[in-house]
Amino acid sequence: MSSVQETIFAIISKEAGIDPGKISLDSTLKDLEIQSLDAVQIIFEIEDRFKITLPDRDPNFDTESVKGLVEAVERLVAEKSDAAAAPSAQG
Amino acid sequence: MREGRSAIGPISNIPTDLLNIKIAAEVRGFDPLAHFDSKRLILLDRVSQFALVAAREAVAQSGLDFGTDARGERTACIIGTGIGGENSHNEQSSRFYGDRNPRVHPLAIVRVMANAPACHVGMEFGLTGPSFAVVSACASANHAMAQAFDMVRSGKVDFAVTGGTEACVTVPTVKAWEAMRVTADDTCRPFCRQRRGMVLGEGAGIFVLEEYEHARARGATILAEFAGAGMSADAGDIVLPSETGAARALAGALADARLGAGDVGYINAHGTGTPANDPTESKAIRRVFGAHADALCVSSTKSMHGHALGAAGAIELVAAIGALRDGIIPPTANFIDADPECDLDYVPNVAREKAVRAVLSNSFAFGGLNAVVAVLRAP
Repeated sequence: MSSVQETIFAIISKEAGIDPGKISLDSTLKDLEIQSLDAVQIIFEIEDRFKITLPDRDPNFDTESVKGLVEAVERLVAEKSDAAAAPSAQG
Repeated sequence: MREGRSAIGPISNIPTDLLNIKIAAEVRGFDPLAHFDSKRLILLDRVSQFALVAAREAVAQSGLDFGTDARGERTACIIGTGIGGENSHNEQSSRFYGDRNPRVHPLAIVRVMANAPACHVGMEFGLTGPSFAVVSACASANHAMAQAFDMVRSGKVDFAVTGGTEACVTVPTVKAWEAMRVTADDTCRPFCRQRRGMVLGEGAGIFVLEEYEHARARGATILAEFAGAGMSADAGDIVLPSETGAARALAGALADARLGAGDVGYINAHGTGTPANDPTESKAIRRVFGAHADALCVSSTKSMHGHALGAAGAIELVAAIGALRDGIIPPTANFIDADPECDLDYVPNVAREKAVRAVLSNSFAFGGLNAVVAVLRAP
């Protein structure tokens, strides 16, 4: 399990009060019976932990499933480190 | 509102660089100095300024002089707000945390407090009866007006100045709404399939309530009869609305106003444009009104004036009274396609001529606090 995946599972488990063993990459937040308020808290904790912003209602990002969340976070974290590595135009 | 014109647009009064949602229904071109001298203005958060401007219009229109016959003593002043002096709060926090400026303005407390609008309106007109603020998020105004109405009906007072006020379009408030992921980034499209959430608004609505015989005896122009109110709490979820709770408030308003379902011609809906509210509210209306639900006009004017939280019910009562007086039902603007889960007549986009005798106006707040008011055409 990647560390991103591990962190996301831990956040979902804590915020929604679900046994981590019940969470799999194939589950959707709906399958896990996560209410909307818990879902926005999960998104917030993920954003805060990884210092990223998960887009809202962007068809290119799937934030409804656990797998989608993990992939989205990996992609955004990679983009962020690429941006940090690239020489900045503004100096 | 009868023209179906939406006041939702790009935010212009505050910096938007940190915002993802950059739209709101702001009070634009409002110059406080046109209404208050600078000495007085120091005491007034924007939320109190709005309340005072609206109260001046209402009192002038009522023709009442509260200084005559000790009327002020027999007048309640009950004004709802969801957040209170948010602009002052933000300004002081920003100086303190942002600028590391340790000096906080000495009048910060009296500007921020949620009862300030009621106090300033009371002071302006010398209202010395029961006076306080009512806070129930998006139902604050309806709860405040219901309370004021009960006081007049019970004979505790003869008059009331009541309504709601809100000035909530600040960077932190907009950010906080963004974070809940319930705000739309395009516009507010209640009850339609393409709706993406609510849009914040601001403003105030203030009314003068007066005991009927007294108003008649002095030859007052009566705009409408405040006939009743229904209130309930879901005691369930802090954000998700309940059909049962909303239905209980609707049925309560009908019973309190001694109306049958068939008497009502128009409902000014809570209609926030969120995925959760609109189907739940539609089902609650159907549950209470049965077959008559199909004959009702149900529109959400939040599509035009946005969601002014604690002022919403008061601004919407203006629309409701307009429908009673002019026989024109304000539309649900920005409507595209029907949502199968919302199956009532939402008066899409274009106002409709229809004579109505009784109107309900719904407010369902976060926390599951519901307040519905019933108004009738002036007797």
